[in-house]
Amino acid sequence: MKNALALVAVLALLAASLIGFSGTAQADEIKMVGVITKIEIAGKDAKSATVTLKDNKTENLVVLTVNDDLTLDKFKDHRIQEGDEIRCKYEVIDGKNVSKYFRKTAGC
Amino acid sequence: MKHSVTVAAVFLALGLASLPARGAEHPGKEALQKNGYHGSESCEECHPGTSAAFLETVHWKHASKVTNVEGLDPTKEYGMQNRIYVMCNGNDIVNNLKEIPKSPETGKTKFSGCNTCHPGNHLSDVGSTGPEAQKAVDCLVCHSSDYDFRQRKPYKDSEGRVVMGQDRSTKAALSISKPTVKNCMVCHEAAGGGVVVKRGFSFTKETDAHAAKGMVCVDCHKAKNHRMPTGLDPNNWASDGLLVSCADASCHGLKPHKDADLNRHTAHIACQTCHIPRTGGAFAKDFTVWEQGSDKFYEPTTLKKEANETTPVYAWYNGTVKNTPHFIGPKGSRQDGKSRITPFKIFQGKAFYDATSGQLLSMDFAPPMANGDTRAGVASAARTLGMKDPEKVAKNAVPGWQTIYFGSNHLVTKTKSLSCANCHAPNGILNFKDLGYSDDEIGKLTTPELYMKKLIEKQKEDW
Repeated sequence: MKNALALVAVLALLAASLIGFSGTAQADEIKMVGVITKIEIAGKDAKSATVTLKDNKTENLVVLTVNDDLTLDKFKDHRIQEGDEIRCKYEVIDGKNVSKYFRKTAGC
Repeated sequence: MKHSVTVAAVFLALGLASLPARGAEHPGKEALQKNGYHGSESCEECHPGTSAAFLETVHWKHASKVTNVEGLDPTKEYGMQNRIYVMCNGNDIVNNLKEIPKSPETGKTKFSGCNTCHPGNHLSDVGSTGPEAQKAVDCLVCHSSDYDFRQRKPYKDSEGRVVMGQDRSTKAALSISKPTVKNCMVCHEAAGGGVVVKRGFSFTKETDAHAAKGMVCVDCHKAKNHRMPTGLDPNNWASDGLLVSCADASCHGLKPHKDADLNRHTAHIACQTCHIPRTGGAFAKDFTVWEQGSDKFYEPTTLKKEANETTPVYAWYNGTVKNTPHFIGPKGSRQDGKSRITPFKIFQGKAFYDATSGQLLSMDFAPPMANGDTRAGVASAARTLGMKDPEKVAKNAVPGWQTIYFGSNHLVTKTKSLSCANCHAPNGILNFKDLGYSDDEIGKLTTPELYMKKLIEKQKEDW
C-alpha cells in the first residue's frame, strides 16, 4: 500500500513537472540602452520596421523588429532618427528580437 | 459697433468652420499647391489676425499672470519662461536654447535649452512680439499630420545665431487639421527630461479611457482662439484663463453616475480621485549631481517610473497653491467649503539654495551638461539673472530638497476606478486622519455598513 502511494506521488510529481515545462515557453525580456545606427522601414503604410542599435554597454549591434504603431509613426515622421539614444526592452520570438518598449532617452 | 461685432462673429465662425476635424480635407488645397506654403503668412490669408492673437497665448509666452499661487506679484507674469522649481531647475531665460560647451572627452557639442519646444524660430522666441514674431509662428508643428521633424532642429545661421528650423513644406501644409495627439505629444510627452518624466502619463488606448474612445487632447482642451483650457494644477502656473472641467455639460455633467450615492461624492471628492488611481513619471531628481551618459554628456540624476506604476498622494485642494522654497502644493481644507479631496503625483527634487536668502537657485544646464560641474551652472544662471557676485552665490549655495505636488489629471479609467472599499475599508487608500477627520468620524467612514448591500449586489452581478 505504502509503495503504491509512493508511486502515485511520484507519478503526480512527474505529471506536474511535464505540464509545467511543456507549456509555451515564456520569452525573457531583455533590457538595453543604445544608439540607433540604422532604421529600415518600408514606406508610410509599413506595419513593421527593423532598427539596429549599438548597445552602450557591450558596443554590440543589436537588430530589433518594431511593430507598435506609436513608435512606427515616430520613425515615419522622423521624431526618432539615427543617432538617437534609445531605452528599450525586447523579447526573442522565433529568432527575432521583437521590441516591447522603445523610448528616446532624451527630453527637454 | 454692432456692425463690427457681427463682422467679427462671422470671421470667427468662418475661422472655426474652416479648420477641419481630423481626416477631413482643409479648404484651400489648390491655392497651397499653386502658391506653395510660406509659413504663417500663408495661413493668414484665410485666418487674418490669428498669428497676432497667438502671440498673446501661453504657448507663445510661456507665462501669464497667476492669481492662485501665494507669494507672487499679481502684476507680473510667471511660467516656464521664468519659474525656478525642481522639476526643471532652469527656465527659458537661464536655459535659453544654445550650443553647449564641448565635452572635454569627445570634443563634441550639442544644442540644448528649455525653449526647444517653443513654436517660434528662436530668433523670435518666448514672448516676442511684432510682425517678425508673427511670421515666425510654426503653425504646422501643431496642425500638420505630415510634419518632417528632421527640419525642426536647431542650427547656427551665417551670423552665428541659433535658429530653430521648421518644416514649411507644401507637403506638410497639405495635411493640416485640428491637432492630433501626436502634435501635442511632440512637446508634452518628453517635458522635464524624457518621455513620461514630468507629468507621468501617456495618452494611449491602453492607458486612458478617453484615448480608448478615440478622443484627442483638444477634445477636452478645446482651444478658443488658441487659448488652451487647462485643469487646476498646483505646479502648472501659466494659464490662458480657461478651465477644463469634467462636469462640463457637454461632457459628464454635474451628476455623472447612475448611482446617487456616487454622485453625492462629487461635492467633496474630485473625479480624479476615483478615476485616476495611479500615476507615474519621475518621482525624484538630483540637480546637484549629474550622471554621464553614453554620449559623455551629463544629465540630472533621475528616478522614474512608467505611467500607472506609482500611486498618488491625496489632499484637500481648493485651487490655490502654497508656494515656498521647499514646497509647492495644494491649499485647502475640509472646512473651507471649496476644497475636494484630490490626487497628486508627488515629486521631490534636490537643487541648490541661496545661502543668504534661502531661496531656490536656478541652473544653466550648459556647464553641467558638458562636464558635470553643477555649481558652474548655478554661477552662470546667477550671472544671467543679474545676481550680485554670481561666483560667490554658487560657491556658497546649499543643496536641499523641494517637494512638488503635480496635478494628476490623465490616465483616466472607468474599469479600474476605485470602488467603495478602496477608501472605506480600514486599510483604504485615503488617510482620513491626515485629511482632518476625527477618530469617531473615521470609524463611521470605514465600516462595511456603508457599502455591504451595494457591493454584495455587484458581486452577484459580476459572478
